[in-house]
Amino acid sequence: MKKIIPKVAAICCALTLSACGNKSQGSVTPPDGKLDKCTLRFSWWGGDDRHAATLKAIELWNELHPEITIIPEYGGWDGWTEKVIAQISGGTEPDIMQINYDWLVTMSADGKGFYDLNQLTDNLDLSGFEEDILSFGMVNDCLNAVTVSVSGRGLFYNSEVYKRLGASYPRTWDELIALGETFGEHSLYPLDLDIQSGGTAWYLAVVYVQQKTGRQFITMDGELGFTADDIRSALDFYKEIEDKHVIRTIQTRTDEDGNAALYQSPEFISGNIAGVLEWGSSVGKYEAVLPEGVLEAGPLLTDENGNSDGWMIKPSMLYAVSKNTRYPDESAAFIDFLLNNEDCAVILGTSRGIPASDYAEKSLELNGKLSGLAQENDEMLENLNTVTISPYMELPRMKEFYNTAIEEVSYSKTDTQTAAEEMYDSISKYLETIRK
Amino acid sequence: MKKRIYRNPVGVSRYTGLLLILPFIGGFLLFTLYPFICSFVLGLTEYDNIRPPEFIGVQNYRNMLSDDNLLNAIKVTFGYAAVLVPLKLVFSLLTALLLSLEIKGIGVYRTAFYIPSILGANLSVVIMWQYLFTSDGLVNQFLEIIGAAPVSWYGNPDSAIFIIILLRLWEFGSTMIIFLTALHNIPKEYYDAARVDGCGAVRAFFAITLPQLKSVIFINLVLQTISALQEFNAPYMITGGGPLRSTYTLGMLIYDEMFRYYNVGYANAVSWLMFVIIAIVVFAMYGVTGRLREDKT
Repeated sequence: MKKIIPKVAAICCALTLSACGNKSQGSVTPPDGKLDKCTLRFSWWGGDDRHAATLKAIELWNELHPEITIIPEYGGWDGWTEKVIAQISGGTEPDIMQINYDWLVTMSADGKGFYDLNQLTDNLDLSGFEEDILSFGMVNDCLNAVTVSVSGRGLFYNSEVYKRLGASYPRTWDELIALGETFGEHSLYPLDLDIQSGGTAWYLAVVYVQQKTGRQFITMDGELGFTADDIRSALDFYKEIEDKHVIRTIQTRTDEDGNAALYQSPEFISGNIAGVLEWGSSVGKYEAVLPEGVLEAGPLLTDENGNSDGWMIKPSMLYAVSKNTRYPDESAAFIDFLLNNEDCAVILGTSRGIPASDYAEKSLELNGKLSGLAQENDEMLENLNTVTISPYMELPRMKEFYNTAIEEVSYSKTDTQTAAEEMYDSISKYLETIRK
Repeated sequence: MKKRIYRNPVGVSRYTGLLLILPFIGGFLLFTLYPFICSFVLGLTEYDNIRPPEFIGVQNYRNMLSDDNLLNAIKVTFGYAAVLVPLKLVFSLLTALLLSLEIKGIGVYRTAFYIPSILGANLSVVIMWQYLFTSDGLVNQFLEIIGAAPVSWYGNPDSAIFIIILLRLWEFGSTMIIFLTALHNIPKEYYDAARVDGCGAVRAFFAITLPQLKSVIFINLVLQTISALQEFNAPYMITGGGPLRSTYTLGMLIYDEMFRYYNVGYANAVSWLMFVIIAIVVFAMYGVTGRLREDKT
């Protein structure tokens, strides 16, 4: 028995280490240019509006290509990354995936985490995309993913509440802060931010400081662009808007909503919270819980001199093909359908933001579908000197650093100087590790 | 006297038993022992779920020494278990005593009290808890009616853990069932004899019921302690570990490291730490309660 145990343990070690890595290296199915009969899995996250539109688009695909069946897998954003990483780790990921921008850093640092779509151009038409849009999905000279839409976070307001109080949408940071008093008299809030998966609290503070200093928070190659003082300024700004009743404190928000997301909050649905910060591509979930036409896009805030820099854009989501797929051509054809097909574009509308593909955008324009909050936000961003967000900024561990600092400041557990120094050290160390 | 030979009544060979338990043995080796050893091996590696693991020895265990989040999670988990387990045992025992009364329709009550245990910490319970404990929730409305100040259940770091404790306390069914079964097994003659000697209900409880339940109390204590130390689902669903990590348990830390931060090696190392902690606690319980359990009554 004594001899058996070490042997069993050694076998387990070998099995574990061999099972964990390189599951499919060398087994990438090459394209053959043909579309065979097959079943493909396609996964995405989103709100109900996106789910409904995508399911309709899949119905259209099934009519056009009855030989290629698409099995949809969808859900909300919370927990979605964890689900996909577990699938990828086990080699059971769907053939086609809607991926987030930061996944390229975490899941394909060397460009080999997803299929190289450059090899699939027989079935995937990329002529409708600008070079810089395509570059978002490039890792190590491999086209790992194609950008679905480029989006920026915008401010969206409950027009009924603003009208009722006779308030105008703020244009500058000072105007926003002044609204706290007006709304506070009625126990309402002109805006709200969160530290949940959206992490809008830190985001708005970063925009404020980027506009003020001209420095980018995290550079595209993963360097921390802010100084500890910049981070302190951001935390000071956050604390100020809490103190001036512009947004709820974290304690108030948690007491009122529990662990629910802001768009599910009774406070937002009833109009007690009259504004949100959200990606143009995802604002549909907020729009859906209010009466039609009530949510309106507001101006992006500037300083007193009209400087509007610092607002950020990013590829809101991308489509990637699993490196383990047995059907790369068919997967590419389906992505092409989602991105470029004119009828599909009409069905999908702006549920994933304004399409990055020229073909889809023109189709929406021709059919009068290029409207709504996402489009309004997009137009506003086009006129600004925007900053492209670094994929490193959205890494889950980074969000933990932001949210920890914001929470400690909100609860006055620590002062902004100490929180900023801790955050600066944590982020610097982490970025150094992740860039290795 | 002629020695009687016993034959296997169904006429099967001695290997049949082994054959019959083979599915269990197979399942145990594949789904318990293998992952158990895998977990230990992964705890000695740096692994992000994507790239092949890299052997780093005991570095993950060294990293634990400087991890403030881990220290906080251990404190939260022990604090939670220390409050929940005794409360749950007392509450379950008292309810079991009530449900052991022979009154009409008692079966309905027993079923009703067991239902919360089936629900677990699922989405419907999360929504119900929001209706109960948010600032305008039913509990605060009730407090207002009786003239008490409303409580910041979710938002106050000192009180948030109590809504998790209340949820688990509410799910007392399985503990109660074990007590109920044990109560039924206490011979009625003991109580009859005590009554003849002039013993009241309270004295009978302390002199007869509790001593007879000693081993069952211990089993429930061990089971509930293990379950509390492994708590993940309720804080994950209800509070997300907040505010200020006041409900961030060891189970949540392992989940976050594993699935949110892709720190698989560290997550597995912490899992082993959790295993060792639970083993020490259970052994300590055996040690502390040893003489008490062995006392004959």
